[in-house]
Amino acid sequence: MPIDDPLNLNRVMPAEGMGIAHMEYNAIVADLLDFIAVDGPDEAAFNRMALRLFAYQFENNKPFAKFIRARGKTPRTVQSWTDIPAVPINAFKTLDLTCCPHGDAVAVFMTSGTTLGGLRGKSYHSTLKVYDASMSRNFAKRFMVGREQMDMGILFPTTAMMPNSSLAHYLSLAVQTFGTSGSAHLIGDDGIDFERLMADLTRAEETGQPYGLLGASFSLVHVLDELQRRGQTVRLPEGSRILDTGGFKGQSRELDLDEFYDALYHTFGVPRSHCINMYGMTELSTQFYDDGNAVCPSVKSGPHWIRTRVVNPLTGVAVAKGKAGVLAHTDLAHFNIVTTILTEDAGIETDYGFLLLGRATGAEAQGCSMAVDEFLKAAGAA
Amino acid sequence: MTERAGYLPGLDADALQWEAHNYGPREASLLVLLPVLKGEQITAVTQYVRSQACARLKTLPVGQIVDAIDLAVARLLDRQDPYRRKMDNLLPVITGYDREMVHLGLTGYLKTFRKPELQRFLAEDFTNPSILNDFQPLAKGGFGRAFGPDVLGHIWAGNVPGLPLWSLVAGLLVKAGNVGKVSSAEPLFAGWFAQVLAEVEPDLADCLAVVWWRGGDAEPETALLHQADLVLGYGRNESLAAIQSRMPITTRFLAYGHKVSFALVSAAALDPSRAAATARLAAYDVARYDQQGCYAPHVVFVERGGVVSPETFAHYVAHGLAALERKFPRGLLSMAETSGVAAWRHSEEMTVGGQVFGDEAGAWTVSYQAEDTAFRPSGLNRTIRIVAVDTLAVVPTIVAPFKALLQTVGIAAPPKELFALAAALGEVGVTRIAALGDMTTPEAGWHHDGRFNLQDLVEITEIDGRAEAASDRLAPYVD
Repeated sequence: MPIDDPLNLNRVMPAEGMGIAHMEYNAIVADLLDFIAVDGPDEAAFNRMALRLFAYQFENNKPFAKFIRARGKTPRTVQSWTDIPAVPINAFKTLDLTCCPHGDAVAVFMTSGTTLGGLRGKSYHSTLKVYDASMSRNFAKRFMVGREQMDMGILFPTTAMMPNSSLAHYLSLAVQTFGTSGSAHLIGDDGIDFERLMADLTRAEETGQPYGLLGASFSLVHVLDELQRRGQTVRLPEGSRILDTGGFKGQSRELDLDEFYDALYHTFGVPRSHCINMYGMTELSTQFYDDGNAVCPSVKSGPHWIRTRVVNPLTGVAVAKGKAGVLAHTDLAHFNIVTTILTEDAGIETDYGFLLLGRATGAEAQGCSMAVDEFLKAAGAA
Repeated sequence: MTERAGYLPGLDADALQWEAHNYGPREASLLVLLPVLKGEQITAVTQYVRSQACARLKTLPVGQIVDAIDLAVARLLDRQDPYRRKMDNLLPVITGYDREMVHLGLTGYLKTFRKPELQRFLAEDFTNPSILNDFQPLAKGGFGRAFGPDVLGHIWAGNVPGLPLWSLVAGLLVKAGNVGKVSSAEPLFAGWFAQVLAEVEPDLADCLAVVWWRGGDAEPETALLHQADLVLGYGRNESLAAIQSRMPITTRFLAYGHKVSFALVSAAALDPSRAAATARLAAYDVARYDQQGCYAPHVVFVERGGVVSPETFAHYVAHGLAALERKFPRGLLSMAETSGVAAWRHSEEMTVGGQVFGDEAGAWTVSYQAEDTAFRPSGLNRTIRIVAVDTLAVVPTIVAPFKALLQTVGIAAPPKELFALAAALGEVGVTRIAALGDMTTPEAGWHHDGRFNLQDLVEITEIDGRAEAASDRLAPYVD
């Protein structure tokens, strides 16, 4: 394949000594962008691309290759994407899973590091072109739903404030690509800018221009609490939408989902069917959405370049449809790191996607012994 | 099949609200009705137990209480007894533990509550157990008598079969009325014991109650905490802290938090004739009650330098776990538990110098670590970290940061080493040293978490030596 490099990929690759890998890299990026752009490639095409990425990662990502060999697999023995061993997300904390040298990464997204001794899971991106294409195409379809642009308010810090946050990048991309010039980040160094938020909401109410409020679930809770304290509500115009992500686990206040979406409706006038929850992870380059939260829990689904299996986390074998298991995702867009990951999220497969049941970990000892989480907590407190 | 939990003397069962809980797999499920008690009902049953304990239990000599418990335990050791049959049949369904393991475990456990063991239990804490009946001479001079609380409250946790028996028997031996709250993880054993005791000794029938309320309902809990004179609490630190925050300042609270245990294998124990047997015993400690008890090992430190290497020893333990899986299969795991085991296994795989082996279905896992000597809890449910160390002498330093959380250490070592290690481990908070294979079966009269089971429950009323002399001067026979 001739390489004319319209995407300027040379910028992110080492210049010497990796000629063949370099050619394959350029071809992969170009083919992935094509794969994302087309409409619904078939199962065989997905499988081919997944196996090609698997072989590429096996070749270029040393810790990944070691992990795969330890599972008794190699690219020669794996014939289906479902047979690719899923890398547990914990491995992102201790292993440097990347096909490009660290120094060549244009972005390193990290998890918040609330467990395992404060270690943070890292995803090295050699380019953000695939990530951005994945995000934009999917976001246009699932959140914008045909609309080109919208006034947006972002309840999350900027990328300048959080350069290693994949969510900060995601939301910045949303506002850059789909936000009108009147859009704004509403979280600064001093927290949520309520005056600006109220001004934007009131303006939307007056002009009748649909408004999108996007951010972390717990930031929306802070906004709900503050507006309730002030006794204020707004009726956002028809076509307005809310996107929340991240849930409430580990936050100061845990809300029942029905309570949360009811409150969004009562406070902002946005019907629950237009309140979208995004499920994403630092360890992925593609997000899942629901089609609103008129009914909770909602069904989540992703675009054609990501597939989800519900598995027994110990054996990696898929559980019967309708049974609860742990989610394993194969995300072609996460090509520089690993494509198949084992999450710690429980779910159930449905006809149109999966139900997210929350964290699958956190089991306590049934008797008077201690599970890992409790031990770490007690040891930390002691 | 339906079973009612609880034992509620003085309350009208028909007037109570009962909540149905399902246990076990669908094809063999058991429906248990739990009494949803409110604050006023807790107050009523506690007051009734208090009055009955004061009128009856406190007037009995401790020897008679020992006889009554011995009779009740003898019935439960009889596998034809209807209550024992219920235990054998239903506790495996409730807890998910293997049937045969529950049966053998119960017999071994109940045996530690027969008359000779109860006497040992008393002798361990009181030089002269008659101090529970009457004033007895004290070593310093004068006389003393031990009084148990009128009402001892128990808040139990967890599903290891029979655990409530410890504190219930301790309460009875010090002549306390007992009101215990069972955990929904295993709500039946305590109630059955109370019923058997009431049958063999009607005098005690109204001196104990087994209650339940919905988790998180502070009102009935607060009622018990305010009615009891002394409270024993078991569970996670968060739950214990919540209980403590509701305790009246004048009531004593003895908290038994969750603990972890581990094992040590000396190079001297690693000769070819003995190493395999030692590994089997370690595997048994790991398998019993699927590591849910605080006395179950999370880590085995194995000393280098023996004829059998730590790595080979790890393989022996794996072999032992595989054999035990065939004999006593591990219980079915919830999704969260499966995920916990998987997360543990995956993180063990990521360490440098680590080797993880287990069966395909994940029923057991051994993680052998040649370099990473850190003390980390296992993933529970038959998962064990085997750590090679150059000398066992380094272990006390490794575990010292977790002082408040340590309980039992199983040791396979010659006598001189045993005592040297015991001294060093005692200094860093270990409260029990056991032989491998015995870690999960404490002997009668053991000091639970290093405390005095009975002494901690009583108050001594003492007659000052000079008071006796002074009273002597007022005696009618004074000349």
